[in-house]
Amino acid sequence: MTSGLSWKLLSREWRSGELGILLLALVMAVSVVVGVSSFVSRLQSALLSESARFLAADMVLVSRTPVSDEWVQEAESQGLVTSLGVGFPSMAVADIDHMALVSIKAVSTGYPLRGDLRWSREPYGDVIAEGSIPAVGEVWLAPRLFALLDVSLGDQILVGEAELRVTGAVRGEPDATTAVFGFGPRLLMNVGDIPATGVIQPGSRVEYRLLLGGDRSAVSSFTEWVEPLLGQGQRVDSIDGSQPRINDTLDRAQGFLLLAGSLAVVLAAAAITLASRRFGERHTQYVAILKSLGARSWEISRLYGFSLAVLGAIGTVVGCAVGWAIQAGFIQLLGDLLPVEPGPAGWKPVLIGMVTAAVCMVFFAWPPLRRLGLASPLSVLRADVGIADSQRPQDYLLGGLSIVALMWWYSGSAAVTLAVIAGLSVVMGLGFFAARGLLSGGRRVGGFAGSIWRVALAGLQRRGRANALQMVIFAMAIMLMLLLSVVRSSLIGQWQAQLPIDAPNHFLLNLAPEEKPVLEGFFREQGVATEALYPMTRGRILSVNAEVLPEWREVEGEGVPRQREANFTWSDDLPEGNVLLDGEWWDADDSRAWISLEEGFAQDIGAGLGDRLSLRIGAAELEAQVRSIRKVDWQSMRPNFFVVFPRQVLEQYPGMYMTSFRLLPDQKPVLNQLVSVLPTVTVIELDIVIREMRTVIDQVARALELVLGVILVAGALVLISGVRSSLDARLKESALMRALGARSRLVLGTLWIEFLVLGAMAGGLAAAGTEVAAWALQTRVFEMNWTPTLALWWIGPVTGALIVGTLGVWSCRRVVNTPPVTLLREV
Amino acid sequence: MIKVSQLLKTVSTADGDLNILRGIDLEIEPGASAAIVGASGSGKSTLLGLLAGMDVPSGGEIWLDGESLNELDEDQRARLRAEKVGFVFQSFQLLPALTARENVMLPLELAGVSDAEQIAEQFLVEVGLGERLSHYPTTLSGGEQQRVAIARAFARQPRILFADEPTGNLDTRTGERVIELLFELNGRASTTLVLVTHDERLAARCDRCFAMTAGEIVER
Repeated sequence: MTSGLSWKLLSREWRSGELGILLLALVMAVSVVVGVSSFVSRLQSALLSESARFLAADMVLVSRTPVSDEWVQEAESQGLVTSLGVGFPSMAVADIDHMALVSIKAVSTGYPLRGDLRWSREPYGDVIAEGSIPAVGEVWLAPRLFALLDVSLGDQILVGEAELRVTGAVRGEPDATTAVFGFGPRLLMNVGDIPATGVIQPGSRVEYRLLLGGDRSAVSSFTEWVEPLLGQGQRVDSIDGSQPRINDTLDRAQGFLLLAGSLAVVLAAAAITLASRRFGERHTQYVAILKSLGARSWEISRLYGFSLAVLGAIGTVVGCAVGWAIQAGFIQLLGDLLPVEPGPAGWKPVLIGMVTAAVCMVFFAWPPLRRLGLASPLSVLRADVGIADSQRPQDYLLGGLSIVALMWWYSGSAAVTLAVIAGLSVVMGLGFFAARGLLSGGRRVGGFAGSIWRVALAGLQRRGRANALQMVIFAMAIMLMLLLSVVRSSLIGQWQAQLPIDAPNHFLLNLAPEEKPVLEGFFREQGVATEALYPMTRGRILSVNAEVLPEWREVEGEGVPRQREANFTWSDDLPEGNVLLDGEWWDADDSRAWISLEEGFAQDIGAGLGDRLSLRIGAAELEAQVRSIRKVDWQSMRPNFFVVFPRQVLEQYPGMYMTSFRLLPDQKPVLNQLVSVLPTVTVIELDIVIREMRTVIDQVARALELVLGVILVAGALVLISGVRSSLDARLKESALMRALGARSRLVLGTLWIEFLVLGAMAGGLAAAGTEVAAWALQTRVFEMNWTPTLALWWIGPVTGALIVGTLGVWSCRRVVNTPPVTLLREV
Repeated sequence: MIKVSQLLKTVSTADGDLNILRGIDLEIEPGASAAIVGASGSGKSTLLGLLAGMDVPSGGEIWLDGESLNELDEDQRARLRAEKVGFVFQSFQLLPALTARENVMLPLELAGVSDAEQIAEQFLVEVGLGERLSHYPTTLSGGEQQRVAIARAFARQPRILFADEPTGNLDTRTGERVIELLFELNGRASTTLVLVTHDERLAARCDRCFAMTAGEIVER
């Protein structure tokens, strides 16, 4: 057979519409993969730049001494832009009666390199987010400072020796969470005014921050260059380490997005397999005729191989274009709803699309077509002769391995891949071994049922093997959709649980014991809810098991035990949110010198359960034995402590109290009254930080929902392909039933029952697979706690039955409104 | 031309082996026409499939135009069909995606004939379908479809033509016209014709007639 004839046959096939179905499946597969992966890529790069916002730069060089000019020049020569910042606590003075300890941040032109500095002309006025900073000679104050200092716009204040004019209010800094200089409210000034203040002297607590921005390669090359040169008190902050909670969120979001992309690959493969099998089945007779006319097996293989190659090329190009259009349209359509400005997608999605198309063609579309070469020409004489052994086990094995490789390559995560494979294996294992048994059992049940049920269940059993395969495909598609929904819900649920809407957003420190009633009365009066008051005593761990620990300055390198200073507290019970890892908690009336350590702290000082520690509190020294090791949830907004004692041990030492509380934005002026009632307390304001975090989490959650939507559409398409794969046999049987006089009600009822039973069973299998995959993903990938999702066990079968039932009957609706003879001729 | 010696065909069933053909001996001279008649299940179609090299026997030997089918593999048997054998089936077996012209062209193209289109058109004109060249099988009547199948069978100018119940799906009048056409073309091309039929009138028009009963054959 010449390639010219192959072209002719291909074009004739194309005209018949059969190839169109295969091409449609391929285009769908490629476009979903390209669409999801490019959408994911764009979201990922956007989320990465979103996390850069928390540094106000792509990288920050933090130093206790001024950053060398040579380093700045080197950074700029490597193509990075720079901006210098200086932070320190100091006093701001309006007049003799109005002064406040403030956290000063001096910035230079270009700040921030990433994200926006938000400010307003009036303390709580309209927010401006354009790129400007206070000019030389001017300051912007946190809104609360206007009241504390009793100043308004245009007034002068003193910072050290410099007299500066108030020209605005600071409303939001991108790096508020990472650039903290003391506990006071913010005062933002120009770095050019620093020399005039005269406040920075040798020994001052100052943090210099060199912000750097540029492409990733320039940032990493400068990091490599500068890291060996870093001295004591100098470090590099990168996006990865800037904000653990946000990173954690973004890491998990990324894991989810990659999971979604991998699922798109599996769905694509399933769609292609179904379409190709149907194509193969419909072409058995065609090939038999060709062979009876003298076509040889290799010519048949060449014809279909050639057709597939052409289809693959067309499908890849069209699929990539459609996928690109889908994500572009998606982004266009969603416009302002999109959580972040989408970044570039790069070429990887197209490459993924091409490789997916090639793998799908070779491992999923080709095996059913290659088997066509084995079709017996005898079937032109005898309709009962088909292709024996139409799909070999090694075809499934090769296909399975190729999809595992593709998922692994795509997700870059063995854990994600294995989790999904575990779920799919459960579906397939249960499906193939149990489905046929259940189907044949169904017939026995059907024997006692009415005629519609009997016919339907007999139909299911008659096509047992095909139905088992179809059920597994349905179950896989449903499982992937359920899995993504479950993981999305638990991720978002956990994020929201971490930052509940009523989480405390202020910490109060340095409350003297005699001030406790004053504070409690004040909060009661103001209607402010607080957490419990925690006693807090500063102390130092000196030795472990009589071995004196070296001081911090005597030790070089990480991981060497050293003396640590920490805030101690006492508690009758294990603090809320803490988990006991080792040892036991003491009784409330226990007066023995026990101590409980946080796990990381215990590592730092090299202490374990049962070790005896010497500690110093003020001038006193005491001995205590480690009674337990705890895990502390640092992400909670509660006061947390490294070291806890029994009440009777620590109560005798002088100490202060701390607490946390929640203020609504319009309650902020309460802080001014608080400071005037209790002038010695320190308040740490975390409300802006929490608001920033919540914004990011909301944005990421919305992004996940968008991707889930795309996957649900892809899953629905696979279900449609699955229904279509058995359409011919069902149409033929239904047409025969009608020809024999069956009423539409019986035919439709039979179809409903068949598809409802298939869908419900597939949904049940999917629930089992989802539980396994969700367990693996949540415990191994997302490091979350896993609890079985019991609702799956009814949601799976019910949604499976409804979706498959509706799609199935809808696809077969022609059987009741088309004359049976027309249908019989067609199929 | 066609020689069959001690041909056996056995298939395995749940109840044990089933002998469909039990030692068939047969010889048909070049250019002769032969009818194989018999009741349903007597083994007629099985014999036809074996003669055309579309199936392999359990025993015995078949020679077609001097070549032993037993020595050929499936692809070599396909080549033999492409070069020397034509077919007419009861259910026409036209490819629904192809027009009448393309259906007739197909075996010519498979054999690499360069002017396939002209030959196909010429044969379609001969069977009276010159006006229906671009029609698809679904738009043709049963008789017209069978005429396309006959044109397809003769277009390659085969040495042997096998016909399986060529009138089985047609009414009497149409069937008669198709038979006329078949014999006319056969006479003109001096093709060896082997046909399987229930139709005694059709069998009577053949030079020889063989009757099959329970896998055995006798000449009448």
